Amino acid sequence: MDKVLDIRDLKTFFYTRDGVAKAVNGVSLFLKRGEILGLVGESGCGKSVTALSILRLVPDPPGKIVSGQILLDGMDLLQLPLKQIRQIRGDRISMIFQEPMISLNPAFTIKDQLLEALFTHREIGRAEAQARAIAMLRLVEIPEPEKRINDYPHQLSGGMRQRVMIAEALLLKPELILADEPTTALDVTIQAQVLDILYKLTQEIGAAILLITHNLGLVAESAQRVVVMYAGQVVEEGPVAAIFQNARHPYTQGLLRSVPLPGQRRGQQRQTLYEIKGIVPSLFDLPPGCAFYPRCPSPKTLCAAEEPRQVAISPGHYVSCWRGQ
Amino acid sequence: MAWRRLFEHRLGMIGLVVILGNILLAILAPWIASDPLKVDVANREAFPSREFFFGTDEYGRDIFSRVIYGTRISLYISLLSVAVASIFGVAIGAVAGYYGGLTDNILMRFMDAIMSFPAILLAIGIMAVLGGHLFNVVIALGFVYIPRFARIIRGSVLSLKEKGFVEASLAMGNSDLIIIWRHILPNCTAPLIVQATVSLAYAILAEASLSFLGLGAPPPAPSWGNILSDARNFMLDAPWMTVFPGIAITLAVLGFNLFGDALRDVLDPRLK
Amino acid sequence: MATMIPYIIKRLLYFIPTLLLVAFLVFFLVHLIPGDPVVVMLGENASPENVVSIRKSMGLDRPLPVQFTLWVGNVLQGDFGTSIQTKRPVIQSIKERFPVTIILTTLALLFSLILSLPSGIFAAIYQNTKKDYLFMIGTLLGVSLPGFWLGLMALLVFSVHIGWFPSIGFVPMWEDFWEGLRYMILPASTLGLFMAAVVARMTRSSMLEVLRLEYVTHARAKGLSEWKVITKHALKNAFGPALTTIGLQYGRLLGGAVVTETVFSLPGLGKYIVVAIYARDYPVVQGCILFIALIYVVINLVVDLLYSYFDPRIEYQ
Repeated sequence: MDKVLDIRDLKTFFYTRDGVAKAVNGVSLFLKRGEILGLVGESGCGKSVTALSILRLVPDPPGKIVSGQILLDGMDLLQLPLKQIRQIRGDRISMIFQEPMISLNPAFTIKDQLLEALFTHREIGRAEAQARAIAMLRLVEIPEPEKRINDYPHQLSGGMRQRVMIAEALLLKPELILADEPTTALDVTIQAQVLDILYKLTQEIGAAILLITHNLGLVAESAQRVVVMYAGQVVEEGPVAAIFQNARHPYTQGLLRSVPLPGQRRGQQRQTLYEIKGIVPSLFDLPPGCAFYPRCPSPKTLCAAEEPRQVAISPGHYVSCWRGQ
Repeated sequence: MAWRRLFEHRLGMIGLVVILGNILLAILAPWIASDPLKVDVANREAFPSREFFFGTDEYGRDIFSRVIYGTRISLYISLLSVAVASIFGVAIGAVAGYYGGLTDNILMRFMDAIMSFPAILLAIGIMAVLGGHLFNVVIALGFVYIPRFARIIRGSVLSLKEKGFVEASLAMGNSDLIIIWRHILPNCTAPLIVQATVSLAYAILAEASLSFLGLGAPPPAPSWGNILSDARNFMLDAPWMTVFPGIAITLAVLGFNLFGDALRDVLDPRLK
Repeated sequence: MATMIPYIIKRLLYFIPTLLLVAFLVFFLVHLIPGDPVVVMLGENASPENVVSIRKSMGLDRPLPVQFTLWVGNVLQGDFGTSIQTKRPVIQSIKERFPVTIILTTLALLFSLILSLPSGIFAAIYQNTKKDYLFMIGTLLGVSLPGFWLGLMALLVFSVHIGWFPSIGFVPMWEDFWEGLRYMILPASTLGLFMAAVVARMTRSSMLEVLRLEYVTHARAKGLSEWKVITKHALKNAFGPALTTIGLQYGRLLGGAVVTETVFSLPGLGKYIVVAIYARDYPVVQGCILFIALIYVVINLVVDLLYSYFDPRIEYQ
């Protein structure tokens, strides 16, 4: 098994005036070369921080990667000097952000920003760089790329901006792409298009994608494996089919039940929308034992006292739950 | 209100103490200091001593008392001129923001025109026309600062309009005036207060500059600017005439700046 | 750039009514003077016939709106009035003295930018560290110290006691660059200090805001060095608001020049205005104030236009 990314027991904490927020509290996950891994969980569960930690982009202060290993092709990124990390950023690992309007610099043209990515990592002439950039824009299906490349971000629509982000992310043929909610800010009709382009091009270069999202539907359609996070920890992971058909963790089950079905609220057999009772715990003040305990529909007494250990349900399918075994 | 946070702001509290100190000195001046206008020919240009804490000027007047009495002038001018500016500024800004359209356009163009003048220059111009009298300084500075208040209030009014308060209130049958007075203005107090403290600081500096040029408080009034203006001719012989009034000005302005910063932090960090 | 033309035209159209209003204000100002300006000019003992005829020749018997139009017409032709004292055209004196003021304010501007921009940027990067606190204290002092007092104190220390710089007098820099500079260092630096403090704070807060934004994180994610991230990505966006502040503060420089020129006895336009006020030479006062106001309006227009370079989104608003 060829792992392009292997995160082992990562802990990233935020030290603030109000206390220590354990945003990532012992997370382990891996990606195989070329696979799409869905990282799901609600806002604040630590998925974005995990991605930022990989590239050491966590703002310090107040954030700090406290312990753990992040192996890229076997090399521990957390031990590397920042200079080498910069060489990796954008080149071997690239990141796509959620809101392209705010992640593209409004003061520079598309051309400036794309070329900058190229010049930072390659010795390349201006003309050739521009040609590559235009070719990339064509691949992401931006009409008239030679003209649009001179536009400013605010002159493009949301979907096109995100395609530019994808173009930039793929320009240097990375091994791993961190996609942080890449379509959340887009219209529903555009989402599918953008994702299609992302997957198609990524497959062509054989890159792996860490798809961070709270949208289970996206994961079901495209990912091969899923990792579910809650309150800074991994609660369940496994192949997509196993998770969707045989979820063992009550949180995962709750998430799956929350997706409304067509006709659910109409007619004679109306059902209310399912919701997981309770609220997410404060990351400053995590309870001992299982973090999900306060909201669990059928906990055991052990759950309040001890953090659950990870157990295998079937090949590749693991759950951290005293009950889910 | 975020009173507690305000009192926790260390620098802001230092500023408040300085301001209160100034006010106190102004009120208690007759008890603390001797007559600031008293000429004492025998003790001209005396070095600071126990009798004359800050020394004396070329007429033998006690600089210490003049500086203390100077707080009265600077507070009088700054408070009154900011009051004038804020009343007119708020009225203009509220009307402009609320009614919009042509009214807004015309009023704001006037405001822009006033702001097209460097403030001191306009104040100098007005003082040249009106003549050197304490109250005229109030008029001059008040006039010059109106646009700043008008703009801020207009901005608040516009953003409140966008939020729909106005429509809701109109739908309930309130008249324009009531809406402006009761609903809109109370929501503008935060930026108003911040602007007021900033303007108070500027007003003190402005008055001192005007008096320094001879276009402000008429001599022999003990305005800090006046003292410095006299001091200019005696820099070599009596440097203390220059030092102390300047420190007084700096402290007074610093007090308002510190407190104003704290207010801004507490009321609307975005303004920073 | 071509897309900016409609924006430029729009700004220019807005500019003209403002200019007219400025002229109106100045006109209105001087006509507030109590008393009859002709009597002021000729003196109290002038004969009534003289007063009437002079008034007629100056057009002062015409209705005010007509006077205003005539006056504006004159200004557009470069006639800013005639000095009562010297009988010379005001524009002449302006031409002689304005260069001094320009040099003073430009040097003050340079001084203030050199001081404020780097320190503001560094304060933002080192936010909440000791360096930042020093910065805050420094800028607080900068906006609280009265400029003219600083000038006086500077004279006291540097000229009188240490003797590094000459205290009064002036050598034009276009005649002798270095000697002229020596005369300008103290006035320019005391004039520019206030502005430096304000711009420094503005730069810092603008940088702080920008550094928080996602495109900065994105720039880092691309592998750019921190230096590049700050100087290229953050700065360009942060500079816009700072630029606007600079434009506004330039007005303060122009106004402050009046005081600074008085303190240092520089033969500039500012001092000329003060002297004219003492002499009750109202045409001079009127003409000079109008002139400075016009310059200020033009500068702000230029700043507005420049702003669109730093924030291309502005054209579309």
